Amino acid sequence: MSNDGPTPLERFINGILPENPVYRQILGICPTLAVSNTMEGALTMAGAVAFVLICSNILVSLIRGLLKPHLRILVFTLTIAAFVTIADRFLAAYMYDMSKLLGPYIPLIIVNCIIIARCEICASKQRLGAAVMDAVGQSLGFMLGLMSIASVREILGFGTWFGKWLGWRVIPAAAPEIWSNWVIMILPPGAFITLGLLMGVMNWIEARSRKARKAVAA
Amino acid sequence: MNYLASLLVLAITTALINNMVFHFFVGNCPFIGVSRKVDMAFGMGAAVTFVTTIAAVLSWIATYYIMAPGAPLATWLYRALTHDPVKVSDLSILSYIVYIFLIAWAVQLVEMYIRKFFPALYKAFGVFLPLITTNCVILFVCLEIMKHIGLDAADPWGLDKALVYAFFAGFGFLIAIVIMAGIREELDHCDVPKPLQGPGITLIIAGILSLAFMGLTGVDGNLARMIAKKPATAEKAATPQAVDVHHSYSVAPDQPATLNP
Amino acid sequence: MKNSYIGQAWLVIVLSLCFGVALAAVQTALNPKIESNKLRDTIGQIPSLVPGAADGKAETIGGQTVYRAVDAQGQHVGWVIPARGQGFADVIELLVGTDKDVKQITGLYVLKQLETPGLGDFITGDAWRSQFKSKPADVPLVITKTAPKTDSEVQGITGATISSRSVVGIVNGAVEKFRSAVANE
Repeated sequence: MSNDGPTPLERFINGILPENPVYRQILGICPTLAVSNTMEGALTMAGAVAFVLICSNILVSLIRGLLKPHLRILVFTLTIAAFVTIADRFLAAYMYDMSKLLGPYIPLIIVNCIIIARCEICASKQRLGAAVMDAVGQSLGFMLGLMSIASVREILGFGTWFGKWLGWRVIPAAAPEIWSNWVIMILPPGAFITLGLLMGVMNWIEARSRKARKAVAA
Repeated sequence: MNYLASLLVLAITTALINNMVFHFFVGNCPFIGVSRKVDMAFGMGAAVTFVTTIAAVLSWIATYYIMAPGAPLATWLYRALTHDPVKVSDLSILSYIVYIFLIAWAVQLVEMYIRKFFPALYKAFGVFLPLITTNCVILFVCLEIMKHIGLDAADPWGLDKALVYAFFAGFGFLIAIVIMAGIREELDHCDVPKPLQGPGITLIIAGILSLAFMGLTGVDGNLARMIAKKPATAEKAATPQAVDVHHSYSVAPDQPATLNP
Repeated sequence: MKNSYIGQAWLVIVLSLCFGVALAAVQTALNPKIESNKLRDTIGQIPSLVPGAADGKAETIGGQTVYRAVDAQGQHVGWVIPARGQGFADVIELLVGTDKDVKQITGLYVLKQLETPGLGDFITGDAWRSQFKSKPADVPLVITKTAPKTDSEVQGITGATISSRSVVGIVNGAVEKFRSAVANE
């Protein structure tokens, strides 16, 4: 029973699109919305989530035989909280600016439903290989989701892409009379509206491809 | 008077301006998941407010006496053990773990207490209680309070301020989720484009609501200034001419904010 | 009974111990670096706030923590005053640099602000902050809408009047308070 689930490869691919944490499962939207106004913040956040997710999936998968059913949530929470603390300290030591920018949203990874859901659904039931691939796939999916929102918001809001790290300007700064930055995209409303519209676009694409597949089959 | 005023400003700032959902984006999962019916939304909001307040008090006590840099209890123990009279203890690395377990514990406690003594209340919002443990609002409030305790805190809070902050943070969440549920009940009669149905349209509405709440920005600053009229020598000197230009969002997005030519 | 409790919970206890050790290791390894990062936030700004300064030392004057800015030879060249106050949204935290007699403001740095992005956060920009250089510290500064005419005028930011006014108010208050504290020493 314990190894009947999807294979590692299926787990990996599932995480990226069919079960994308942001667009499909709609889990962990708090950081998705809060840190997605620059690419740097989004990538750092995705990195921190990936670290915590992979580490806790590995640990939970290794000790899955020892878990008592009624204590498992407690063990998951303890594991996640410890890894989040470690990630938080590392950011504060080596990427202090990012740590200041992300502020409370790093510790809020503890209550991010993605991680506890993956521990519950996959890592506590499957072998190490599947658990690792699942964690990598889900983190990649989360990163792609965050980056898609952050791209829209940073380009429209600041006119840059990776502005703080690479200094790329997408919209030339020289023509404020033609295009001025959409301040609203940097602010909270921009986050909600961007995510809502992107979610609509994703659903639309999926509906179309499903229809196309049906037409081919028929 | 000044004390009450500062509490009032804190309350208004927390509940309306820096609203948990619309400004800090915390508590979005229940905000989107449990906002279909007004009564359910109200139950969820009330439960969150209740638990946030209790968890905030618990975490304030734990932080102030044990975990913050220089906390009296831990420092006393540390000094007693090491015979080192100057050093202070700093257990803040443990704070995330402690908070999450305090929250889980508070949720359990509240659930048992309410089930035993207020069965009617339990019926109204008992089902939401287990879900609340992973609600970001509560952990966020604990973290904010942590920032205001300790030797190097720029603006130290006592238990009173922490309590006001926590209650109004929960209250802000309650306001947000009830408004959203009211809108979504009406939305059932609307013809929403298919791809946007469900979370999509909810997020877009949340964006518009958040835009509306942004209109309240600046109320806190002006309120604080209005109440604290008297320390005006420095303040007045800074204000004589530029009174007619309002700092509002309508002035600006189309003109880059630079110095006047 | 007791045995069964331990049988149930041994995993949690062992895990807690492991994580405790891991966290202690992380704390010992990284804390000095984090502390120096935090310190660099304030002390690191001193050379740009007071001309000629190379380093700073925290001191308590009049019940308030300030930084005494010293040059490479250890000569006292100025002060850096941390100040905080209500901005347009939430609290603004500033560092104000002055010369050693508190006669002149030599620089301004914004440590923390949550003003409106794109408008109010222009108070952090170099162009606006550099206006404060060599302003008198013994008369209150005044915000104007047009280019400054007298010495004590500072030009506000279009669309962010309250933010700029708040900064000037905080600077005035902090400098005034510090000046009287120094005079009483």
